[in-house]
Amino acid sequence: MQEKLIEFIIDEFVEEDDVVIDVDTKLISSGLIDSFSLVSLQQFIETEFGKRIPAPVITAESFDTVRQMIEIIERY
Amino acid sequence: MIISLPFFAYLVLVAIVYRILPWSKIRVGFLSLSSLAFVAYLDRSAAVVTLCITVWTYLFAWLLDRYKKAIFLRIGIIGILGALIAFKYLGLLSGTLSHLAQFVSSLPDFRIENLLLPLGISYLTFKHISYLSDLNWKIAKRGSFLEFLSYSSLFTIFVAGPIERFSRYQPQLEENHQSWQNVWIGFQRIVFGLFKKLVIADWIGYFIQPWWDSASFWMRALALLGYSIQIYTDFAGYSDIAIGSSRILGLKIMENFNNPYFRTNMSRFWATWHISLSEWIRDYLFFPLSRVSRKVIWSLVCVPIITMAACGIWHGAAWHFMYWGIWHGAGIAVYQLWIYYKRKRKIKTPKTMGYQVLMGAITFTFVTIGWMWFR
Repeated sequence: MQEKLIEFIIDEFVEEDDVVIDVDTKLISSGLIDSFSLVSLQQFIETEFGKRIPAPVITAESFDTVRQMIEIIERY
Repeated sequence: MIISLPFFAYLVLVAIVYRILPWSKIRVGFLSLSSLAFVAYLDRSAAVVTLCITVWTYLFAWLLDRYKKAIFLRIGIIGILGALIAFKYLGLLSGTLSHLAQFVSSLPDFRIENLLLPLGISYLTFKHISYLSDLNWKIAKRGSFLEFLSYSSLFTIFVAGPIERFSRYQPQLEENHQSWQNVWIGFQRIVFGLFKKLVIADWIGYFIQPWWDSASFWMRALALLGYSIQIYTDFAGYSDIAIGSSRILGLKIMENFNNPYFRTNMSRFWATWHISLSEWIRDYLFFPLSRVSRKVIWSLVCVPIITMAACGIWHGAAWHFMYWGIWHGAGIAVYQLWIYYKRKRKIKTPKTMGYQVLMGAITFTFVTIGWMWFR
């Protein structure tokens, strides 16, 4: 799950070649992923892992890193 | 309406009584009734409508909680939207139909009676829709009726938000967070808000007033620039007062602004302008609509324009608010298309300060032009 999420985030949101994304990289609060683009992340999680994460849970506080995403995906 | 002596006197009185009451249930009951009483003082019909919609929503929350059927969510939301349409938009629809009828066949003017718009109905309905949806998603607990009534009618944020979520509000009621530290923080926030509103916003409004009617294009452009700052400081000041007043009661209400005019694109602007509304729009309109189709044109262009048009008309029952919303929706759509194109073509944008300043200036200019429709 971790590798798939990181791969998707790099493909979808990262512009620079030298940016390193790990499980604790801040994605929303750092501005790497903007609020409206999160829809594609939600859809990827639904397609790939079969989990629908409610939009109000996808916030900069609770969904900011891949580690937090995995915790939430496992909860749903 | 909250920048008045009666409001602040009432706040002090409610804060003192709220602090000395011993049990949380009694405190919540007192907060609900005192809030409803203040709403009734401002507008009696608003208090009645608030109570009726609160009973309606709570009934469907109870049914949803007990039977776990989505039909109760749907009926509950339809009822809430029905109230919003009846009280806010029937006047607009009847007026538009009247104009159309006159235009088409020169029929005599017809109008249905404009219904009284109860104070705070827009904020109330959005709070209730989020409550039912969050309950359905198991993000929020149903809570007691009195907790929900206090959420619906909380007098510090009733008139113009922030649109707090029940899932964040309700846990704060279980413990009394009133303290001298919170009173001090709340007091400072109120003073800061009053400064923004009464000193900056009102003075700018006073100075630019004659410029609107000027024959010179540049004077009118300056007036628009002034209005851009006026509307921000006015609303941000109001939000500071609402947040500070709630803090005096020990309630931490969500932030509503975070330097929106220093943002470098429309997406970031909306993540920092009227945050409680933009997050509501994102969670309950933008995300669900995006699920309808995965076609690029739908998700990057149609959805932002539809959601922002709805956001516009929510601000007021007049078409010019919708045009303002469409303007912003178009701005977000262009930005999203640019990001999409940039990623596909692997285009790199400069990271220099000059580029950031330029993008900030473009975003600010775009937002400022949009205020033409809002005014």
